Amino acid sequence: MTDLTSPPPKRRWHPSLTWLGLLPFALFILLFLVLPTMKIVIGAFQRADGSFTFENIAGLFTASILSSYWISIKISVASSAFGCLIGFLMAAAMVLGGLPRGIRSPLMTFSGVASNFAGVPLAFAFLATLGPLGLVTMFLRTEFGINLRAMGFNILSFWGLTITYLFFQIPLMILIITPALDGLKREWREAASCLGASGAQYWRIVALPILFPTILGTFALLFANAFGAVATAIALTGSSLNIVPIMLFAQIRGDVLGNPHLGYAMAFGMILVTGLANVVYIVLRIRSERWLK
Amino acid sequence: MTRAASWAILLLGITYFVLPLLGMVEFSLSMRRGEYSFDAYAAVLADPQFRQTFSYSVVMALLTIVFGILLVVPTAFWVRLKLPRLRPVVEFVTLLPLVIPAIVTVFGYIRLYNTSSWLPLTGTIFGTNLLLMFGYAMLSLPYMYRAVDTGLRTIDVATLTEAAQSLGAGWVTIIVKLILPNVLVAVLSGSFVTFAIVMGEFTMAALLNRPAFGPYLQLMGANKAYEPFALATIAFIITWACMGLIQLVTRFTKHDKAGR
Amino acid sequence: MSFLTISHLEKSFGVTRVVKDFNLDVEKGEFISLLGPSGCGKTTVLRMVAGFESPSAGNITIEGREVSSLKPNQRNIGMVFQAYALFPNLTVAQNVGFGLRVKGVPAREIAARVEEMLALIGLPELGDRYPFQLSGGQQQRVALARALAPKPQVLLLDEPLSALDAKVRVSLRNEIRAIQRELGITTIFVTHDQEEALSMSDRIVVMHQGVAEQVGSPFEIYNAPATRFVAGFVGTLNTLDAQVLDPATGRVKLGENELTLGRAVPPGEATLGLRPEMLRLGAHPGEAALTGTITELDFLGSVIRLRIDLGGQKLAVDLFNTTRQAPPKVGETVSLALNPADALVIGA
Repeated sequence: MTDLTSPPPKRRWHPSLTWLGLLPFALFILLFLVLPTMKIVIGAFQRADGSFTFENIAGLFTASILSSYWISIKISVASSAFGCLIGFLMAAAMVLGGLPRGIRSPLMTFSGVASNFAGVPLAFAFLATLGPLGLVTMFLRTEFGINLRAMGFNILSFWGLTITYLFFQIPLMILIITPALDGLKREWREAASCLGASGAQYWRIVALPILFPTILGTFALLFANAFGAVATAIALTGSSLNIVPIMLFAQIRGDVLGNPHLGYAMAFGMILVTGLANVVYIVLRIRSERWLK
Repeated sequence: MTRAASWAILLLGITYFVLPLLGMVEFSLSMRRGEYSFDAYAAVLADPQFRQTFSYSVVMALLTIVFGILLVVPTAFWVRLKLPRLRPVVEFVTLLPLVIPAIVTVFGYIRLYNTSSWLPLTGTIFGTNLLLMFGYAMLSLPYMYRAVDTGLRTIDVATLTEAAQSLGAGWVTIIVKLILPNVLVAVLSGSFVTFAIVMGEFTMAALLNRPAFGPYLQLMGANKAYEPFALATIAFIITWACMGLIQLVTRFTKHDKAGR
Repeated sequence: MSFLTISHLEKSFGVTRVVKDFNLDVEKGEFISLLGPSGCGKTTVLRMVAGFESPSAGNITIEGREVSSLKPNQRNIGMVFQAYALFPNLTVAQNVGFGLRVKGVPAREIAARVEEMLALIGLPELGDRYPFQLSGGQQQRVALARALAPKPQVLLLDEPLSALDAKVRVSLRNEIRAIQRELGITTIFVTHDQEEALSMSDRIVVMHQGVAEQVGSPFEIYNAPATRFVAGFVGTLNTLDAQVLDPATGRVKLGENELTLGRAVPPGEATLGLRPEMLRLGAHPGEAALTGTITELDFLGSVIRLRIDLGGQKLAVDLFNTTRQAPPKVGETVSLALNPADALVIGA
């Protein structure tokens, strides 16, 4: 048996050894996230010869690039706003609408699938539905004589892309807002109604302010999500719609802007926009968690 | 909200989600004029390029999963055990790939690891494949890390480790025999998400010029009429299967635990 | 006409009847407790009074006004919940002022009333805090102030003390009772804790399986339980099977002991209820005597609880702990004295 009189050998952890455990992870992040991103950020402020300049950033402020940012931002705002609204309504219907609890689990699973079903296949699904020969397009034309095309609708347009993006935006909103709606205690509603509040007053003074940080934060997340989406846009529109990810894609492939460092600047602009949106998300998330403890 | 309004909202929403899937499937079955058939699927399956790109993506997905597990499990474990103060920082870092668009990261890869750089990964096919795998691992990092970290939260890492150490187990034994089995469900969930992400990924593979399933899909979309929809249906089924498997393993362990 | 009348109230969820023919008249300013185990229907009665559940049958009137068909926000009722239910996004002052705000009361009046209420609950400085910055006891006091601020006709308390620590629970209990007396507000208090019900109430309604088994003052409920359930649920009670030897004088046989209750009992078998504190050790003149063997002894501090075997029937007996007297020992045969008038004869 062990000798009980001698003290057990004390394992001493050298601090640097403890940190060494993080080395593989740190190295991976450094090599494949931090350095590549830094390369872009620094490149945005460099000339071809490596000297410092603001020319590339200034170069972004040309009509075509500005308009691509503007369309990108518009699509992102529209798809996240509608995504938030529709996702919120669907989640509220599911959680608070008195519907059978059985629909909840399949809807949440489907949301998980749909929020991951982005990219090229999603574009095809919408082409097959709202494209010139799509299921809905044809159905409306043959059954009701409604010609979507003649009404100005085109899947390869601002609204077409927005409607397509909603396919992953709405489920993402449902996934994030459902726990928050669950966090609304039944007693809050009951307390409010005992105190004489109408349903609308309860929502205005209590429920929406509680949910507001989550909703706004999710909006920021959806915004970044849409802004960075490349594959769906390319597969859907080819290069016919002038949005930032498509332009950047073309620039990386073939330097269509005629200045490699202008590409850096465009990428830097993307990081700036999505980064800002995510900062908003994180700040608001922390605020909402403080209340919903 | 009244029940009728709730049903109406839900049904409208479900319609929006079902129609594109319906359209996609309908189109994929319409290759033969006037009747539904699996011709498009047959054409796709007969295409050697499909087999090449599909198996390329499957292999890449499996490699990414193995690499992701080897990277994430020890790190998450170590952070919980020895550096709990760093946990928020590490968690934040793992979320960064959601902030920085993939197209930007891969742009950085191309410029940083080109043939004339200090680490010319893009100079060889093997190097490019490796780079792509790292990129995939980065894309799936937020999901993988979150899953594993949540799994670790349910077990008492410190106590288990001390108990194992007192019995003379080394670090490798602890991680392989003790931690991994306990977070197996979490690891599996993370792996299925990773699989789904890699199979559908387009941007990185396209810009690194690798023959993956995503770029193949896009290429077919530009050139063929019905095959793309069969491919999209296959892609959708893969995503569904991955999510279904996650549900399955989670439910399986819940019953397992309840039975104890 | 009473201030609050509940008559023939019924509630079914599906095929389960959770409240059966519930009747209660509450006078203005009275403090009534609904006491019973979980699932007895007490909370359902309260929720029907508040308007969160609609009765399957029966009426509820407040000051002669039928309220059953009114929505909760039209009833002018104050309610305090078990889990505080403060609005987390509003400060303490905003929470307390909520009821007045939704009624459109001018801000200055709200501020004055809030100040008054915060003084009443003894937290005058906490108006600007948020609920998550308060302790459980403070939150529940704020919840009370919020319920009282719009001057409701009736105050409903749904197990308001259950989520709190034992110490806070006792002090808040006294505080709630004091505030209730000061304001003279009619109050219905739901609890499963008999000590709370006995110490706070003017009257107690003991509920069991959806039925009000007995309505009475704490004194009546404890000393003269109407049913076997009430006797068993409120306080500790020994129930002993006895054979009636003489129905007229109440002479009964209890195991090997005989006992004369001095009042008429129905012939045949009877169930006697004896509280542990009714019995004393030793022989006392003029009292009935029982003989038994001590099988267990629990030292509980101020009280020593003995378990005594009375020839097959078990009996718990509480003795006050005194330093002057050595405690008895397990295995001893002892004689117990009992005033026969105290013994409860329990009906079916």
